[in-house]
Amino acid sequence: MKAVRKIFDAGRRHFQPGGRLALLAPLFAAMETFFFIPGETSRRQPFIRDSLDLKRFMSVVILALAPPLLFGIYNTGYQASRTAGLPPDFLSVTARGLWIVMPLIIVSYGVGFFWEMLFAAIRRHPISEGFLVTGLLFPLTLPPTIPLWQAALGISFGVVIGKEIFGGTGRNIFNPALTGRAFLFFAYPARMSGDPVWVARLTPGVDAVTGATPLGLAALSQVGQKIETILAGSDFSFFRMLIGHHAGSIGETSALCCLAGAVILIATGVGSFRIIAGGILGVLATGGLLNLFAGPAAQPWFGLNPFYHLVMGGFAFGIVYMATDPVSAPGLEPAKWVYGFCIGALTVLIRVFNPAYPEGVMLSILFMNLFSPLLDHVGIALRLKKRIPNV
Amino acid sequence: MITIRAKNGLDMNIPGQPDGPASRLMDMERVGLSPASFPHIRPKLLVKVGDKVRQGSILFADKRNPDIGFASPGGGTVESIDYGPRRAINAITIRVDREEAREDRGVLDRHQLAVLSRDALARHLMAGGLWPLIRSLPFRDIADPAFTPPAIIINLDTLDPFHAEPALYLDGSAGAFLFGLDALKRLAPAVYIVACRKEDTLPPEIRGLVTHRVRGRFPADDPGVFLYYTRASAAANRCWYIHGRDVVLLGKFLSSGVYPVKRLVSVSSPNGSRHVLSRLGAPLALLAPEVRNHDTHVTIAGGLWRGQVAGPNDYLGLYDAALTLLPAGNQPEFLGFLRPGRRKPSHWRAFLSALHNDPLALDAGRHGEERACVNCGSCAAVCPVDILPQFTLKSVLAGEIEEALAHGLLDCVECGLCAYVCPSKIELTFLLRQARESYYREQQAVGERP
Ligand code: SF4
Ligand code: SF4
Repeated sequence: MKAVRKIFDAGRRHFQPGGRLALLAPLFAAMETFFFIPGETSRRQPFIRDSLDLKRFMSVVILALAPPLLFGIYNTGYQASRTAGLPPDFLSVTARGLWIVMPLIIVSYGVGFFWEMLFAAIRRHPISEGFLVTGLLFPLTLPPTIPLWQAALGISFGVVIGKEIFGGTGRNIFNPALTGRAFLFFAYPARMSGDPVWVARLTPGVDAVTGATPLGLAALSQVGQKIETILAGSDFSFFRMLIGHHAGSIGETSALCCLAGAVILIATGVGSFRIIAGGILGVLATGGLLNLFAGPAAQPWFGLNPFYHLVMGGFAFGIVYMATDPVSAPGLEPAKWVYGFCIGALTVLIRVFNPAYPEGVMLSILFMNLFSPLLDHVGIALRLKKRIPNV
Repeated sequence: MITIRAKNGLDMNIPGQPDGPASRLMDMERVGLSPASFPHIRPKLLVKVGDKVRQGSILFADKRNPDIGFASPGGGTVESIDYGPRRAINAITIRVDREEAREDRGVLDRHQLAVLSRDALARHLMAGGLWPLIRSLPFRDIADPAFTPPAIIINLDTLDPFHAEPALYLDGSAGAFLFGLDALKRLAPAVYIVACRKEDTLPPEIRGLVTHRVRGRFPADDPGVFLYYTRASAAANRCWYIHGRDVVLLGKFLSSGVYPVKRLVSVSSPNGSRHVLSRLGAPLALLAPEVRNHDTHVTIAGGLWRGQVAGPNDYLGLYDAALTLLPAGNQPEFLGFLRPGRRKPSHWRAFLSALHNDPLALDAGRHGEERACVNCGSCAAVCPVDILPQFTLKSVLAGEIEEALAHGLLDCVECGLCAYVCPSKIELTFLLRQARESYYREQQAVGERP
């Protein structure tokens, strides 16, 4: 600890105004405060402050991301090994998973930090901890086959357009990780959807490894078929989808891992249970409602058991980690219910009415990001109406 | 009795609550009074160094209303007058004579009090230096005697940690309290007596008079919170308030004619906590020698949440009944955000300390750096008067004062909870208070125009 202190004390002068590396001052500050919470006495009333700061806040999110991250690494390695015919023992699978996933994470953090630094240096504001989360969320939503340069482009778009042009952390209206992913989706659709992108190729020369995802399969359903049957035919039982041991985006396949993350977020108070619960309610209510219209002549999607929506695709990941991003979600508690509910409902509606584009949760969240200030606005107006004025 | 349930707020389990009987500390060489400890006033000095003063002599008056006097907490010689920046008077120090002379303002009995006009009563209190004990919402300014408020709120309790329970300061003073209450009833059409905890320990004569019970966490004791829950219309916004212990002072003054200076103070420091029966104007360094270590300790006069930082040369102010010392918390913490935090006090559940209920020691550290608001909503979740501090602050920063007022800026009781819980370490309480103050000054300026 003393040794670390010394390093910082020795290096500080280079980063101070006039120093050789003055432009990198935010980086120095970020590193230093990473190691040492500054010992500062609060100078304004109240003179006591909670032990929690934004670093701790964001570390809790990282902690909650650990289950999908670790499972995602394993699962990515497993899917790739299986199709390449390599031995599926735990250690080598995990090693292969790391080999595929780590470069993506490194690129995401590296490129993202570059932009964070650049804006921090220009604006002379501190580097925000929020990026620790964005930089990890983003690669977890990607297919394992994404080229690194596309990942770099995506995170750049997410950070710059999704956050910095609004003024940085706290001012952005869209979730930056989702913004980056949405950009890739529209810019390089072939790399982000369809069957061939979900399993990484380990052996060169083997082309077009297809790993169908539950959503992809469901999209192929014809009138008169039952999606549950189609899924079961490809060995996608409800239970298997819940566990998530199948091809898909790196971190999104396992609803169970997301549930574990949700428990951490809710237990610590860092994630809003209102948003998560509202989202689940929204899915179940909308799915259930559509069930009422399901008949032999209707689209199979109408008759899908609504609980399937919860475990298919990226819904669980989206509602737990993306929708609960406090900055882009509404601040009022009743508004959070509505926000979550609408995300759930829209996810189902997009899946059902636009099967060509099955992954609805991303667009639902971005769409509701856009409306969250409005939800707050309405909520505040209703509150103020009840308030006896004091002027 | 009406029971009100106050929502939100915060209670913390802090070690070192003083209890047990009070020790006595009345004899002191010097006492002092600081004009800066009174909000909003513009002091006009009436004494100079070397003047002889009595206990209860008026040391300075408020330029805005020169009838409102501020009395000397001791008899003796004016030893020094300290000026701070911009010639603001920091403190007037009086060297106390062995035989303290006292100002005699004349004894009143129940009957005389009943026939005295409201105006004469107010003058009597102003001349005696007691009027500043009565304050007005929402700016917490000293009450304007020319105005008849809708009601006066008497709060018996203080939920700010470490304060003495009402039973302690009322012990043997119930008569004086009742006399003071009679006087207050002459000043406003209604007087509410509000208790928060344990009415059963109150003296029986007073227990029966309690009109409201407020149940809830800190700051449910605040008159502003009480008003928030009870007001039926905007007309009630300008109530006056006075603390129960100060009602005792009013009663003592009226019945004896002498400026009363006894004050029960709770002193709490990491080295132990105690009640001290002392006097107004007592040097803080005498009440708690640790005050001198101001590199390692922060001294807060007037309560943990609401108090002001004080130094070794300060004196116990008219509104202060508690002195709290905290470790300064100015040691950098290695990898602090990764620690499990079994002993870290937090409103959040992100530390292991959430798993037990043991008392946790506080310090005055900021525990992090200031960041942009992440809209986490915790400030709104603790605010006792249902302000949305994050949105109110945004209106303030955008210069939209009307909007901030509509959000309830003036209902803010300055409890400090929002700034305490904020993970982004935003100075919410301070910034909101600044906004209130500048709005107040604007109102004053408009009012002073011919
Ligand atoms: S705004 Fe902050 S300081 Fe004001 S009453 Fe609410 S919590 Fe207390
Ligand atoms: S507690 Fe702080 S970060 Fe959270 S909403 Fe309030 S001001 Fe913003």
